[in-house]
Amino acid sequence: MQDRAPEMELIRQAQGGSRAAFDALVRQYEQQVLRLALHLTGSEHDAEDIYQEAFLKAYRYLGNFRFECSFYTWIYRIVTNLCLDQMRRRKTRREDRSVILDHSGDEIDLMASVSDDRSFSNPAKELDRKLLGERIQGALDKLTPRERMVFELKHYQGLRLRTIGEMLNTTEETAKNTLFRATKKLRTNLAELR
Amino acid sequence: MICKIAHERIVTAAYGELADEQAHELERHLTGCPECAGERELLLALKVLADAYPVLEPEANLVARSRLKLEEALDALPPLRWYERMSRRMMNNFAGLRAAPVAACLLLAVGAGAGGLGGYKYAQGRAEHRAAAAQSTAAQPPSTTTSPSASTAVSTAEAPAEIANILSIVRQPNSHRVEVRYNQMVPRQIEGSLDDPAIRQLLMLASQNSASTGVRDDSVGLLAAECRSRHSCREGGIQDALMVVLRYDRNVGVRQKALEGLEPYVAEDVQVRDAVLDALMNDADPRIRTAAINILEPVEGDTSVRQVLHSVANTDRNPYIRTVSRQVLDRVPEIQ
Repeated sequence: MQDRAPEMELIRQAQGGSRAAFDALVRQYEQQVLRLALHLTGSEHDAEDIYQEAFLKAYRYLGNFRFECSFYTWIYRIVTNLCLDQMRRRKTRREDRSVILDHSGDEIDLMASVSDDRSFSNPAKELDRKLLGERIQGALDKLTPRERMVFELKHYQGLRLRTIGEMLNTTEETAKNTLFRATKKLRTNLAELR
Repeated sequence: MICKIAHERIVTAAYGELADEQAHELERHLTGCPECAGERELLLALKVLADAYPVLEPEANLVARSRLKLEEALDALPPLRWYERMSRRMMNNFAGLRAAPVAACLLLAVGAGAGGLGGYKYAQGRAEHRAAAAQSTAAQPPSTTTSPSASTAVSTAEAPAEIANILSIVRQPNSHRVEVRYNQMVPRQIEGSLDDPAIRQLLMLASQNSASTGVRDDSVGLLAAECRSRHSCREGGIQDALMVVLRYDRNVGVRQKALEGLEPYVAEDVQVRDAVLDALMNDADPRIRTAAINILEPVEGDTSVRQVLHSVANTDRNPYIRTVSRQVLDRVPEIQ
């Protein structure tokens, strides 16, 4: 459970130019930022870039933070915007996302890195699971960046629609409609798996 | 209910965002409509499928590498100069005052007054200084003067003012004389009714900016009392100020007062409800979390309250709070 009062103190100190306070804020949120960026972009390299750009932006514009929303919402808003830009660029390039690239450019199989400690686990099931993961990734890639973002924030990050609306500068109703469209498209894209 | 609406509600229900009344209505529809019931099955299947592409925790190496790169990038940034820091602070203060035009005018007037007074004092000081200098020049050699007039101006100023900042220091050529230009902060007092917008704005500033807990406590106490009596709480921005206090003030007593002030608006204002839910989830002090539970009411059209209560009932480290959350959850159907 976080204690907001020290966080406010940290923000104020960082706004006053304290690098140590800003570093403490980074440590508090870096895990969540990377988790979101990695899952959305599927690339360690892109996630690193988004991490860096997000926190540099936060550092530059921290003076504009007025405590009108939680700092969590504020930093997530920056990250989601950067991820949306990245996904839009990717849409035009249409990269193959069945594998992701690590920082050195080597391919990593995202699904293979999930540990499967079930007793009945076997190579055939592993392969099925991997293929299934790739199909889902492919289906997610067919969504528009905004639909992908809303689905990510709702399904994978478990945020409330109202918060998602706030982060994406839109209303709860619009977020709800976007989620509806996203689930509909996903069902169509994954219909043959059922 | 028509099937098109049912399809939309199936999605919101699957993600726990459908109000109870609408959920009951949907359930009734689904029992009589096999097509929509099938639709729900498909959506639930999709949810299970989507989980086959899990969210992974970033590896420690990735975190460390990212942090290192960020630190390098931050080190490469030129350090903020003093005037940049000052302009940032001023921007911050001015932005804070955007919604407080009366306080802004008041501060402007105080600033102008202080400036005028400072200018007058400065001119008076200089005149005295010149006269003293002329006398001392006649009486003793110039090399022994140590700018007595400047120190007198500081120590014998009529108003008990603090030095705000030094504007410039100029040494006069070929002499021991130094001219120091500075700003003074002049204390001011204002008295008026709690309805007076200027008083209210000052109270709101005090609730967030004062370094003294006592001052914050007093101001928040007064503002909360205004809100409890539903006296121009929302229009004047007091409600927003109390939400900021509830989220960020470091003193538990001050946060408690803010929470009490927000109580009447929990049911009708979504933002207030969010702030209270935030406190219930995140406040470090169990007294605030307990108080938050007590003032939360299940509201039609908002399942967030129940979601948070469920979460608190399962995860709060305080057993009393877990029990109280469960009790409130048990009462929900009766209330609705």
